Amino acid sequence: MAEEKAARFPDPHEFQVPSELEGWEEMYPSHYLFSKERGEWESGQFWYQDKIHAPEPMPPLDLLFQEAWQISLSQYTTRVFCIPPAQGIAQRMVGPYMYICAVAPPPDEVIGEKAQLFEKRVFYVFEHYNELWDKWLTKFKALGKEMEAIEVPKELPKFVPEDQVLPAPTGYYVSYDILESFNNLVNQMFKGWQYHFEMLNLTYLAYLMFGDVCRKLFTGISESAIGKMVAGAYVSMFRPEEELCQLSRLATSLSGVADILKSEGMADQKIAELGKSEDGKKWLEAFDKAKDPWFYVSCGSGWFHYEGSWINSLDIPYSYIKSYVERLEKGETIERSLDEVDKERDKTVAKYRELIQSDEDRDAFNNAYNTVRTIYRYAEDHLFWVEHWFHTIWFAKIREFGSLLVDNGMINEVDDIFMFNRYEIPELLTEIATGWALGVDIPVRGDYYKAKVDKRRKILKAASEWNPIPALGVPPEEVAEPFTIMLWGVTTDKVKEWLKGMGEVSVEDVSELKGFASSAGVVEGTARVLKRLKEIVDLKEGEIMVCPTTNPSWAPVFTKIKAAVTDIGGLTSHAAIVCREYGVPSVTGTGVATSIIKTGDIIKVDGETGVVTIVKRAG
Amino acid sequence: MEWGTSWGSAPKPIPNLLTIPEKAMNYILNFENVDKGSLALVGGKNASLGEMIKAGIRVPPGFAVTTDSYLIFITEAGKKDEIFHILSDVDPEDMESLNNVSAEVQALIKSASISDTVQTAIGEGYFQLCERCVAESVPGAVRSSATAEDLPTASFAGQQDTYLWVEGADQVIKNVQKCWASLFTPRAISYRIKNNFPHEKVLISVGVQKMVNSRAAGVMFTLHPTDGDPSKVVIEGSWGLGETVVSGSVNPDKFVVDKVVMEISERTISAKHIECVYDIEKGEVVHADIEPDMQRKCCLEDPEIKELVKIARKIEKHYGCAMDIEWAIDKDFLFPESVFIVQARPETVWSQRKKESVIGKKSGYQLLMEQAMKRIKISG
Repeated sequence: MAEEKAARFPDPHEFQVPSELEGWEEMYPSHYLFSKERGEWESGQFWYQDKIHAPEPMPPLDLLFQEAWQISLSQYTTRVFCIPPAQGIAQRMVGPYMYICAVAPPPDEVIGEKAQLFEKRVFYVFEHYNELWDKWLTKFKALGKEMEAIEVPKELPKFVPEDQVLPAPTGYYVSYDILESFNNLVNQMFKGWQYHFEMLNLTYLAYLMFGDVCRKLFTGISESAIGKMVAGAYVSMFRPEEELCQLSRLATSLSGVADILKSEGMADQKIAELGKSEDGKKWLEAFDKAKDPWFYVSCGSGWFHYEGSWINSLDIPYSYIKSYVERLEKGETIERSLDEVDKERDKTVAKYRELIQSDEDRDAFNNAYNTVRTIYRYAEDHLFWVEHWFHTIWFAKIREFGSLLVDNGMINEVDDIFMFNRYEIPELLTEIATGWALGVDIPVRGDYYKAKVDKRRKILKAASEWNPIPALGVPPEEVAEPFTIMLWGVTTDKVKEWLKGMGEVSVEDVSELKGFASSAGVVEGTARVLKRLKEIVDLKEGEIMVCPTTNPSWAPVFTKIKAAVTDIGGLTSHAAIVCREYGVPSVTGTGVATSIIKTGDIIKVDGETGVVTIVKRAG
Repeated sequence: MEWGTSWGSAPKPIPNLLTIPEKAMNYILNFENVDKGSLALVGGKNASLGEMIKAGIRVPPGFAVTTDSYLIFITEAGKKDEIFHILSDVDPEDMESLNNVSAEVQALIKSASISDTVQTAIGEGYFQLCERCVAESVPGAVRSSATAEDLPTASFAGQQDTYLWVEGADQVIKNVQKCWASLFTPRAISYRIKNNFPHEKVLISVGVQKMVNSRAAGVMFTLHPTDGDPSKVVIEGSWGLGETVVSGSVNPDKFVVDKVVMEISERTISAKHIECVYDIEKGEVVHADIEPDMQRKCCLEDPEIKELVKIARKIEKHYGCAMDIEWAIDKDFLFPESVFIVQARPETVWSQRKKESVIGKKSGYQLLMEQAMKRIKISG
């Protein structure tokens, strides 16, 4: 039947994307395309869709984050900390979707060389971890401030201001400034991403080691059990939600404020109302104080410009606050209980440790555990500072450039700038600088660029209606690369399932999905399938969220849902971590949940065995 | 409490009947009144039941016919001397001679009359059991409990017999007698000879325990029997009485549960084609076919599984070692009072093994990572 039909995935060079996507290649730099020059190597790799970082069609400028991490993540493994058996993770675009592959281990001699360097370099980092983390945070915050300080000219003036000429000419003017500013912006983004992985790879290594030790000692131990043992680290990622809770509590103690916040209506209306009273103004001040940095949070993952952030989509934090205030008035607790999580963790660790029978094994367990406890917080903390805070600053700056291009007739809307990649934007900027320099009424190729924007938006829209194939190329006998398993949740079994799916099993025939048992608990409920981040407004209380992946920035959602099921995500994926922190049962890494399950289906989620059952189809 | 060491001590010497006053005799003892200190009187199985009751585990009520009762029985009318004379020159390799001798001795025992005192005591015990269960007559499980049995270092399991659904004092006495006789099955005789266990030193007690009206029953281990993983409880169960699972005549449902985080990590539902049930018409326990739609139905609900694991943990903690447990779900009671433990003994396979490192040999890279991690200064 379906099983024997296909034993491999299509070759990436032969795979055809739908005709509606024609012309997609020009959106991305050439090294992102499958190419005949690298053909042999590419055909032999195993490429799978990266649903964690790129679950949606890729707007051209947003690709730069991916470009940056391809280099950064890989280099720390191959050239900086020289992790012996591992190499980097490569990326390619297939239509507007991004695929990745784990590069195979290097030859033995290289592994040997790396081991020596690893010893020297990594031992140092582990030994000085806490101080290195402090230094990291200081330097990263400084970089963010530097980016925020970049001045983007608001206009190309008719004549340069007097003070740039007299008493002495500066020697360079706005035509140079706009190019330099944009270059700096891009450079800083790349630098930030170089910083991003400084300690992350090592954190994952420690986590892997601990997971490894646990799995050897207690065969078949679940992801969620391991996760319980590293839970509860204080993480910046949850701080935004804590600030919301505090503001909500403050509101209930100030007269009239709670009522305004609970009312229907947009954020600016509420802000206007609050501005009318003393207590209201007091509350607004508290909000502003919390805003930087804690509300520099993406409304989604931080990877896409259209997600918006709390500071420019105030309706989002205000709607969270509204529901918190309502719950507070009902007498409910709105904060996550970190105390409980800590106690549970310590109890679980003690119980497992008790079961270890040899001293040797106990030592191994204790060492691995202590390491993870000490450095694990970086895995989550960095997420807030890079993907949220830093990216929020970036998007705001880019939009300033967008305004400039609109005012100079190159694009219609500010956000259209995101339809051009980072290599193209200097072209547009150079053209307007040139037009400005040449004189009055000089035409620019505005229509040309506007037409490109139209075409590219159409391509991205068409792509969003297409379900890309899960993988291309040659599947490995065994998936061994640790990030692939731990972060993306792609295992040998998952690959086999995808292969089976190549035989075209109809969606209706599937009634059971298997994934990682990432967070304990067994529940049954109505499914809400969210393929696009903005669909989250449709989510109703008590529903089971089914999505490509989830995000800590959706934190307030987690107190609403009954369970979560994701396509992608392993033990250390944010999806799994967030679910455990919130005590929400979840099954991650099913591969196909968003294609198989439909909104309205009644499903049963078993966060202990990792099985999702479709109990009853909708309609 | 070192359960292990108390098991390991040598059996007590046979009391000299002539010197014990009759009033001090314990013919029967209720399970509530025994514990590991009563090993010599009630045997391993019964002592274990007493220990569990003490630990607050739900066990079907019952009593033990003590080794004293047995001793009186075989001492009376010179039976003992006759028996051991017959056994004295048996060749354990000679199957025919073994079978003959066994048949002779068993017949002797089964046909011998039991003294009034012993019969009255057993009858009294049964009567008390019926009163406790507020029933006119209680169906009982009559089980051998040898004093050498269930010792961790000597797996005698299955050497002696069990009789199910025995009702009425007369039937109980008859089956107790059969259990006494089962001490002399060919296998039991040959096992003792091969292992240098003197026949005279093996005494037998018989337990009479209320039958559980099993909806489902089976066994569980407080470690994974396949690899000795101490973090798991493995439960196997099927419909009806637990004998089908214990004897392996049915493919049971299997559940693997992580006992630390109480997560059911594996669930295997098998096609359970037969069950052991009491047939009212025939008046005995039979192997009956299971209806097709019940065969693939899971025999346990999740709350029952978790309750069993909780109980298993309690038992393991009480004994201080890995345990092999028999359980049953009684249809006549509501959950959780329906969950009963029928038997528990120390697990014998993995507990014997040396406590070696499970992690074993590490790769060069793992050693490197270990070294790296030792450098970490522990945070609060």
